[in-house]
Amino acid sequence: MIATTWRVVGVGFSVLVILSAILLYGVEPQVTSFPGTGVGAAYWTFDVRTDDLTVLLLAVVGVVSACVQVYSIAYLHERAASYTALVTLFTAAMVTVVIADSLFLLLIGWEVMGACSYLLISHYWERRDARSGAMKAFLITRLGDVGFLFGIFVLGLGYGTFRISELGAGDISPAALTTGTILLLVGVVGKSAQVPLQTWLPDAMPGPSPVSALIHAATMVAAGVFLIARLYDVFVAAETTLTVLAVVACVTMLFAALCAAAAVEVKRVLAWSTVSQLAIMFAGLSLGTADGRHAALFHLVTHAAFKGLLFLCAGVLLHQVGSAAFVVLRRYTRRGTLRKAMPVTFVTMTIGLAALAGVPGFAGFFSKDSVVEAAWHHARDGSTVGWFVLVSVCLTAVLTAFYCVRLWLWIFFRTPALAGALGAFEDDDAMADAEDPDFSKLRDGSWLMRGPLVLLAIGAIVLGYADGLHLSWAIAGLTTVLAVLGALPAYSLWRRGADPRPVVLEHEFGADAAYGKAVVVPVRWFAKLAVLGDRDVIGAYVRAAGRTGTLASQGFRLLQTGNVQTYLTFAVAGVVALAILAGVIGA
Amino acid sequence: MPLVLPLLLAVALFCLGVYGVLARRNAITMLMSFELMLNAVNLNLIAFDAWRLDGLATGQTLAIFVITLAAAEIGLGLAIVLLLFRGHGHVDADAARDLLETADTAKEIDR
Amino acid sequence: MTTALFAVAGAVALFASILVVTSRRIVHAALWLVVALGAVAGCFGALHAELVALVQILVYVGAIVVLVLFALMLTKAPTNPLPALTTRRSPFAAVVAGVLAILLGTGVVIAFGNEKIGPVPDGSAEAVGTAVFRTWVLPFEVLSVLLLAALIGAIVLSQRAPKKED
Repeated sequence: MIATTWRVVGVGFSVLVILSAILLYGVEPQVTSFPGTGVGAAYWTFDVRTDDLTVLLLAVVGVVSACVQVYSIAYLHERAASYTALVTLFTAAMVTVVIADSLFLLLIGWEVMGACSYLLISHYWERRDARSGAMKAFLITRLGDVGFLFGIFVLGLGYGTFRISELGAGDISPAALTTGTILLLVGVVGKSAQVPLQTWLPDAMPGPSPVSALIHAATMVAAGVFLIARLYDVFVAAETTLTVLAVVACVTMLFAALCAAAAVEVKRVLAWSTVSQLAIMFAGLSLGTADGRHAALFHLVTHAAFKGLLFLCAGVLLHQVGSAAFVVLRRYTRRGTLRKAMPVTFVTMTIGLAALAGVPGFAGFFSKDSVVEAAWHHARDGSTVGWFVLVSVCLTAVLTAFYCVRLWLWIFFRTPALAGALGAFEDDDAMADAEDPDFSKLRDGSWLMRGPLVLLAIGAIVLGYADGLHLSWAIAGLTTVLAVLGALPAYSLWRRGADPRPVVLEHEFGADAAYGKAVVVPVRWFAKLAVLGDRDVIGAYVRAAGRTGTLASQGFRLLQTGNVQTYLTFAVAGVVALAILAGVIGA
Repeated sequence: MPLVLPLLLAVALFCLGVYGVLARRNAITMLMSFELMLNAVNLNLIAFDAWRLDGLATGQTLAIFVITLAAAEIGLGLAIVLLLFRGHGHVDADAARDLLETADTAKEIDR
Repeated sequence: MTTALFAVAGAVALFASILVVTSRRIVHAALWLVVALGAVAGCFGALHAELVALVQILVYVGAIVVLVLFALMLTKAPTNPLPALTTRRSPFAAVVAGVLAILLGTGVVIAFGNEKIGPVPDGSAEAVGTAVFRTWVLPFEVLSVLLLAALIGAIVLSQRAPKKED
């Protein structure tokens, strides 16, 4: 009953967000102020604003969260009430971030998102990996948020206002500007899982798949991109920050794409691809041109559609098969059953992967091309950053095509070379091959699950044309060739039944281990030190106080002999002593 | 006659009584020492009565009262001593330690 | 005259009292108590409190000491000298008593060092009797009740506990 109520509330809220986006479309940008508060010189109000960016993000958030809410009704049955409530709160927090015109209001939404992501990732809290993944996500994003908070202070005090709409205008020293934007960037990097704070996002995968869709497509990670787009004037003014952003984005997109190419679990591949695609958006933003910003936001929208779609498809696989690991899926697919049993999932997932890989005609193709085009224009104007971004995005396009084709072929098609064997993913259990799993119960799921899939699949195609067709044929040709270049090796490897995964990629460049040594181990040491200090220094005083009391009472107990004469003696001696004392004082 | 003479005698008797009560082992000698202390008090009362001469003979009256009290006290005291003897077989005040609270008796009290 | 009489009686009382608290034989101590109480009665007489002196002899020497002797007999007190007369705390008790004596003596000397007792009219019995039955009649009655209570208390205490029957 409560769960039903919450589901109605959740879907209703998402529809409300979509409705407000429709109503606000084309309205004059305006800012509404609410009474604020302040400390000393820092005074801030709680303002909301509406402009094109707000409307765009509201539409994206509304559509994706509506899909996720509807999909969740069929997908999730345990602890549904709290889950739905948290998803709704998550959406509301993202809406707060989107409409905020005050840095502090934005921070509130930003932090609530962090808390919600923690709670949602640990939805299956019985599982150890879910708990630790949630903890990791929370701690790492918190680490970034500290920088974010200080960035707000530096920028707000530097400009003398905390209103976003007034930020670009005032005077500010270049040092303060650079410091503030770099600090904000730390928060953005944490939230959007860019290098070097990238490790939490893949580990957040034990959460329910719809939540992954929400986090990866519309909220949380997109908030970082949104923030830079929102404060674009400020960031453009800070040349150094943009360069740093470009370097971070380029490193991240290649890093994440390489990791995705070696991952052996559908959701993990998708998680790394999100990191990589976000980096492409950041790369677009880091160009510092209006074209770059436009391209990044375009990519954000198309990415929201196809990444949401892909995660919901992965959710169907998890729901039906029980696992999204390649090795399990291979068992179902070696007779080619998987795609026949779940035609809708197969088709929509194919569309999503095509969009991600940049197959011509799909949404991802157009948005990626616009980023490449913006980079090319910038590079042609003689910018090193532009060249850097251009090359990185092209390389990433190759890798993206590679891992998309690899994912698609390995999970949906039987391998000719291995004649239906589990092949490259069968690591340990040779006998698992012996019997076939039960195919009879595989199906697409109810219309509640299929509806969002179809809707998002349409989005993953149509959204590419929403921006108007302005194709540069040279660039389109180049990216198509690059995609084919990536797809061919994947196909050839699959035909031979081989899936070479370099150890360094499987371990994701050893980032986790290195962080473990650099951060976790010292922190554990400090924790032990603190425990020792508490137990052996502070606790010693406490125990000593208790022991002194015990010893003293044991000593006093010796006075209690049970002998009346002893008592009397002490009483008289006490009276005498008191008399002497009184005499002394009186004198 | 100087007033301090009976007063000093009373002090001496009283302190001898105190010593006797605190130091003597036998319970009956303790009671005897009590009598000494009471007598010292009486001596004080009589001496001050003779000094003040208030006409009501207050000191002497009170002394008689104290003597009566002493009679009552020794009667009860000796009854207690006899009870002690009946229970323990001796009247050694030093060895009568029924008031001692050991860990066991403490537990009993707690219960 | 009275001073000399008082001095002699006081010296005897002091000597007898010392023996009461130090004697090794308990029965001797009780007998020395008789001497001490009698000497104190003499002191009373020297201060012209003849009635009190007589009551002292009657009640103390006649009743209380006899009671004490009976108690000694009932508790099978040995007549030979006791080896352990005092407790281990006796030195400390002596110090306490000595300090107390110095304290009280000093106080008395400082307060009443120069006072003298004048000549006292003889024969106070009538005055005491009048005072007791006129001014102090209520305390007197209360005291009689107290005596009754002590009587009952002594009987109850010395009664043998009835054996429990299950």
